[in-house]
Amino acid sequence: MSQVWVVILAKLRIARHEVAGVRNESKLKVGVITVAATLLWLGAFFFFRAGFRWIMIFGGRAGAEFNFGDLLMSRLLSILTLTIFLMLIFSNVLVAFSTMYRSREVMYLLQGPIRYDHFFYARFFECVAFSSWALAFLGSPLMLAYGLSTKASLLFYFACVAFFIPLIIVPACIGAVIAMTLVYVFPRLKMPALITLAAFAVGAVFLYIRHVLRGTQLSEDTIVPVFLEATGRAQSWALPSHWMSMGVLAAAKHQMRESLFWFLMLLSTAMVSLLCAGSIAQRIFFPGYSYLAGQDRQRFRPRRRGLLNRIERALAFIPNPHRALTVKDIKLFWRDPTQWSQFVVFFGIMAIYIANLRNTSRNYEDEMWRSWIACLNVGSVTLILATLTSRFVFPLVSLEGRRFWIIGLAPITFRKLVWQKFWLSVVTTSLFTVGLAFLSASMLKLEPVYFWMTVYSVSIANFGLAGLAVGLGALYPNFQEDNPARIVSGLGGTLNLLVSIGYITVVVAAQTFVLQYHAIGRIANPDWFRYALGGAVIAGAAVTLLCVALPMYFGLRNLRDMEY
Amino acid sequence: MTTMIETAQLTKRFGAKNAVYNLDLNIGEGVFFCFLGPNGAGKTTTIKMLTGLLHATAGKACLGGFDIAKEPVEAKKLLGYVPDHPFLYDKLTGDEFMRFVAGLYQMSEAEYRMRCGELLEMFEIAAVADQLIEDYSHGMRQKLSFASCFLHDPKVVIVDEPWVGLDPKNIRFVKNFLRQKCREEGLTVFMSTHTLAIAEEVADLIGIINNGALKALGSVAEIKALHNRPGSLEDVFLEITQETEEGVLHQVAQPSRTTGTRGS
Repeated sequence: MSQVWVVILAKLRIARHEVAGVRNESKLKVGVITVAATLLWLGAFFFFRAGFRWIMIFGGRAGAEFNFGDLLMSRLLSILTLTIFLMLIFSNVLVAFSTMYRSREVMYLLQGPIRYDHFFYARFFECVAFSSWALAFLGSPLMLAYGLSTKASLLFYFACVAFFIPLIIVPACIGAVIAMTLVYVFPRLKMPALITLAAFAVGAVFLYIRHVLRGTQLSEDTIVPVFLEATGRAQSWALPSHWMSMGVLAAAKHQMRESLFWFLMLLSTAMVSLLCAGSIAQRIFFPGYSYLAGQDRQRFRPRRRGLLNRIERALAFIPNPHRALTVKDIKLFWRDPTQWSQFVVFFGIMAIYIANLRNTSRNYEDEMWRSWIACLNVGSVTLILATLTSRFVFPLVSLEGRRFWIIGLAPITFRKLVWQKFWLSVVTTSLFTVGLAFLSASMLKLEPVYFWMTVYSVSIANFGLAGLAVGLGALYPNFQEDNPARIVSGLGGTLNLLVSIGYITVVVAAQTFVLQYHAIGRIANPDWFRYALGGAVIAGAAVTLLCVALPMYFGLRNLRDMEY
Repeated sequence: MTTMIETAQLTKRFGAKNAVYNLDLNIGEGVFFCFLGPNGAGKTTTIKMLTGLLHATAGKACLGGFDIAKEPVEAKKLLGYVPDHPFLYDKLTGDEFMRFVAGLYQMSEAEYRMRCGELLEMFEIAAVADQLIEDYSHGMRQKLSFASCFLHDPKVVIVDEPWVGLDPKNIRFVKNFLRQKCREEGLTVFMSTHTLAIAEEVADLIGIINNGALKALGSVAEIKALHNRPGSLEDVFLEITQETEEGVLHQVAQPSRTTGTRGS
């Protein structure tokens, strides 16, 4: 048996044992997660189905000579597959780096008589599985909704399954090759070259964002041609994602030969990509690994100097052990490149959002629309916040992991530990999101009542989402994993994201209901409006209190009962 | 003599298996106790129960008179622990880690500065104190975990196979340091080890555990006397663990001997 298969089979056995281990888990926990995952899948399905249906209606009468809906649907599919393709490349760069260079198994495998291309293939399939499972989970309701909306034939669904494997292999190969090249090239670069490259990359991203934002400044006359031109780029013949969308669309129309053509095109590209990536791995993987491992590892961080030590001094007013825990959390976060690189992405999204707001307010004079915009703004800001807490706050307890003996043996209670993480989350996220709420509400020129409801909702969401993330993080910790991205992608992380979205929905819905009814004149009496608004405020606060108290209580109880 | 470590009928079951069964220990102040046993005998499970990281199925464990299950904070104030594989915060420097531990134990800045510098010098890691822990060798990590263990001046120290990764010079240093602390400052040491020669050299009291039950307890001389013929501690250890594996229970030292006395 080849060495690649030996490693893959061992991995499959480990996966089987882990699945079997679910039997030993709490039935309540497994039940809650299963129900939540099913609801997420169903929610995604109905969301996509409603969206596609709207596009079909928007596009015009079915069977008409020109149906804009058909054009939109095919463009939309190309854009979705291209987005997925690009996201897979990005996630595979990160996953390939941690799987091929940083994983503990790497040293063990490399000391054996294994060729580097075989080693690459053995680890590559783990990268593919890890970076693509979410795509299978969220892509399936998307394609099902698409198929049902376009009344596609059965062949369409078979084509979706068949195209899936080659589609994920191509970006995984590209991602792995990028990771290997970066490891091979970057450590050898001198500092001026690194700075030039970084400046070039930041400049390119800036120009791209400016280009994207151009669309928000267009007049109604020019927006359609520009839109068609821009979406048409997703249908370039050179993009494997386009081959997939062409293939499944052909299958939907029962055009077997055309669908087969695109499938073989994608499959052959996937196989050639695999061969090329293996060959590149044989040449550059080990020199890169060896260079990385042999670098001067004496990284000094002089005390009393630098930003982090200044922050530590500024936090002197916090009593110990809270200060010790807070400073430790901040330093660990700051020094972990995988953490802040994603933080930068998050800030990019925030910047795009704010830049878009500049052009939104002037377009809506009607009060109903202004009220909708205000509520959607709260939804957007709290969704950004939920992403932030799910990605960065949820893993905080798990990250103590195998170091739990340090805190577990210290004379502090678990209560102090989880509340420290709660307050750390509330304070840091509030700095960004309450500021964002003020900024966005000002840019939208919201009336005082909308303005302050926005600020209020975002402020309480900081507490509610922190309670959920810390509490559920303590209830479903993963002490075996050091990689926060992997902790988040586990069952507990998914549950946290779902509950967070549910919580936001409740908070936003309460205020939307009142403000909308007021805007359309259903609550015209000022006294009734005040009472209704008071009710929405109290409902938001009550749900928030529940989202803090319950998860924190059960999380704390779990940590106390747990054995380490 | 004050009892610093006490276990009464301490039991831990994993399913149907007794990992530790009815363990009774009384270890006095200033006693160097070595806990011996083959792999899987129950040493680490005992240590985890003593440190409060694992809940006992039955019985109790006390440190300095405080029940670790009922008064964990008070008990932990007295405790220092050095694990066999020290997982530390890789992205902190050695000095930052020491400061973090000092914060957990709520030490004052002056107290921290005085003790941290002294300990880092003593364990020969002062030169790398500003370096990230992820760049440390295993031995350096072990030395840092020893230094952090003594930062808050514990009265009871539990060490789980501490020699892994230490060079001979440091093994000797740690050995002498622990003994000196026992003799001069009344520190109580509970050490689990497979290195019988070191146990023979440093221990005031030795316990041998096998299949979760304490099989022998006494001073080195008393344990050696249990052997059919005069021999080394290794011979006695092998004989006791072999006999008990075959189902023959060895006579455990008399209850009167369970409270250790400080070595001469």
